[in-house]
Amino acid sequence: MNELSASSRITYRAVMVRPGVARRIRGLSDRTLAWLFITPTIVLLLAINIFPLLWTIYLSFTNYRANRANVPTIWLGADWYQSILTDPDIWAAMQVTAHFVIWTVVIETVLGFGLAYLIDKKFRGHGMWTTIILLPMMLSPAVVGNFWTFLYQPQIGLFNYVVAFFTGRAASSFQMLGDVTLSPWAIVIVDAWMWTPYVMLICLAGLRSIPDYIYEAAEVDRASKWRQFWSITLPMALPFIMLAVLFRGIENFKMFDMVNLLTGGGPGSTTEVASITLKRAAFESWRTGYSSAFAIILFVTVFGLANIYVKALNKVKSR
Amino acid sequence: MTSATTAHSVVEPSATTRRFAGSLVVLYAIITMIPLVWIMLTAFKSPDDAISYPPKVMFKPSLEGFCNLFTTRSRQTPEFIRSLGPPQGLCDSIARSRNMVVAGPSNYVPRFVNSLIIAFGSTVLAVALGTLSAYGFSRFRVPLKDDLLFFILSTRMMPPIAVAIPIYLMYRTIGLSDTRLGMILLYTSVNVSLAVWLLKGFIDEIPREYEEAAMIDGYTRFQAFVKVVLPQATTGIAATAIFCLIFAWNEYAFAVLLTSGNAQTAPPFIPIIIGEGGQDWPAVAAGTTLFLVPIVVFTVLLRKHLLRGITFGAVRK
Amino acid sequence: MSVNATPSIVRRGLADRVLRRGPLEAAATTIIAAGVVMLMQPFSLTLYSWSLATTLFGTVMFTIVSKVRE
Repeated sequence: MNELSASSRITYRAVMVRPGVARRIRGLSDRTLAWLFITPTIVLLLAINIFPLLWTIYLSFTNYRANRANVPTIWLGADWYQSILTDPDIWAAMQVTAHFVIWTVVIETVLGFGLAYLIDKKFRGHGMWTTIILLPMMLSPAVVGNFWTFLYQPQIGLFNYVVAFFTGRAASSFQMLGDVTLSPWAIVIVDAWMWTPYVMLICLAGLRSIPDYIYEAAEVDRASKWRQFWSITLPMALPFIMLAVLFRGIENFKMFDMVNLLTGGGPGSTTEVASITLKRAAFESWRTGYSSAFAIILFVTVFGLANIYVKALNKVKSR
Repeated sequence: MTSATTAHSVVEPSATTRRFAGSLVVLYAIITMIPLVWIMLTAFKSPDDAISYPPKVMFKPSLEGFCNLFTTRSRQTPEFIRSLGPPQGLCDSIARSRNMVVAGPSNYVPRFVNSLIIAFGSTVLAVALGTLSAYGFSRFRVPLKDDLLFFILSTRMMPPIAVAIPIYLMYRTIGLSDTRLGMILLYTSVNVSLAVWLLKGFIDEIPREYEEAAMIDGYTRFQAFVKVVLPQATTGIAATAIFCLIFAWNEYAFAVLLTSGNAQTAPPFIPIIIGEGGQDWPAVAAGTTLFLVPIVVFTVLLRKHLLRGITFGAVRK
Repeated sequence: MSVNATPSIVRRGLADRVLRRGPLEAAATTIIAAGVVMLMQPFSLTLYSWSLATTLFGTVMFTIVSKVRE
């Protein structure tokens, strides 16, 4: 339908435009036009992303402090990198990050794939329910994360009430956000609640990309449902699962907003993921040079993973 | 059509399987909705109902949360309140019942307006730049195309705090700190990568023959782009715009680090709504509800394109 | 892909067999992944100290290797 209207519009317009006018403007070659179209984006990104990145790299080799701009800047070489990469406290922050990344990714993948598998059974109304499940993913992690602190209140929170209701413990006997052992799980729960739909949506696309005839062939060969799942469903959906896992891994590696509002890194430093450590160093202690070096370490990690992510993206694209 | 054939029915799940799968999914959906429903319920509770234990599901609705969200109040002696005239409006009478008077409007509306201006400004810019670049990458042979595309995508992957450090210094130097323009530019740069990738996918799907036909008819390449490609890409452009809008609307990390007053958006503001003796939860819930409603509407509008959006256009269903 | 390539590989030299994009890219990916694991593992401070170098090496290698012919 669209094709028809487009082509008819073309022929209609062609009559209207005098050929002489068109030919005179035709001066712009495709090559010029390509650069005209692409350059503004590249310039913006160079100004807002690459120039600051280069500046950060420079600062990471100096003793610069943003709150003492008048102190002469001294070149320190790789000192900051050395001190960060031998600092047990930063190493501990990386392990907190690892706990958060691994558990969120595991829970989201299992739940997300499970849900996708169920939705793929195409029960009545699956479209509507899918949309409902997807809602948390689109909301602001900061604003919703902030509200979870209310749900986690020991005296009045809904979460504690529900847990108390099912386990029989007193609702005020545990503090999800104030307890050293529970708070790392509190942030995992909120992240899993928020991002399981993300993994689900990608897994669903993976499951739907498997053509029916493969299952039909398996049925003819009398392969059991169990066997079909392990030798057809899972392997064929794997590139999609990998894509979701990589993206959630990258996103949660640099997680800031939700954790900052839920726990702010506390109690102590039990939920101090890398981004919170970085923010404290950069915007609370104003150790700009030091935090630049830390930022570069995080950036290199994310950049490396982004390479793998794009590879995974292309793999899925070719399907 | 195909489901009628016997070969297909072999792989169709049985009615029992479907019902079982359906009930599990519905169960999950209901559990996942509880926090959101709770936010909306809390928005209409009085402060006492909001912090009662056990949590109240049935309660007398109150607009106190919304009143507290939009106003600032000051505590006064009962004598002073009696000396005033009759209360002006609902919020004033609620405040007076708690021995307070409305002192003025709160900062919520300005913050909300900031959110609107910054989100829409950056979306328009990002989509405009993104459409041009996406067309360029889709139709022309650009040297180092794959590297440029990867470079564009990788800028979105950067950790926000790592970007915020130099941006803070840069904006301080050129006088853009805590300005709407500064935030618009920053959000544009983050969104433009998504816009380029998404729109490239959409434009790739428009057959080249359309433009070629138009160019044979005497159009220049640019005219063909404006009059043939753009109308065809409207759906894609709209979907991309909504994605950019939602990102800019939700963004917190840059906003909390780089803005403090003038250009502060709603996300860093809502968590710091404080009442007497701690957070005023009904007011926070009211602010959150108003903030979330537009996203819920947009998500429903966007549901067909969500998959594309979250995979940078790679998976098209 | 690898199935189709097998007959021609047999006749190629060792360098040709190893220096192809697929295996090199896989190696670079593994190095990046190893660097990321080293950064976050709880076992050895020395491994943690070398994580940045490993990830950086893997990333540079990946960028170069993606230019190698298929």
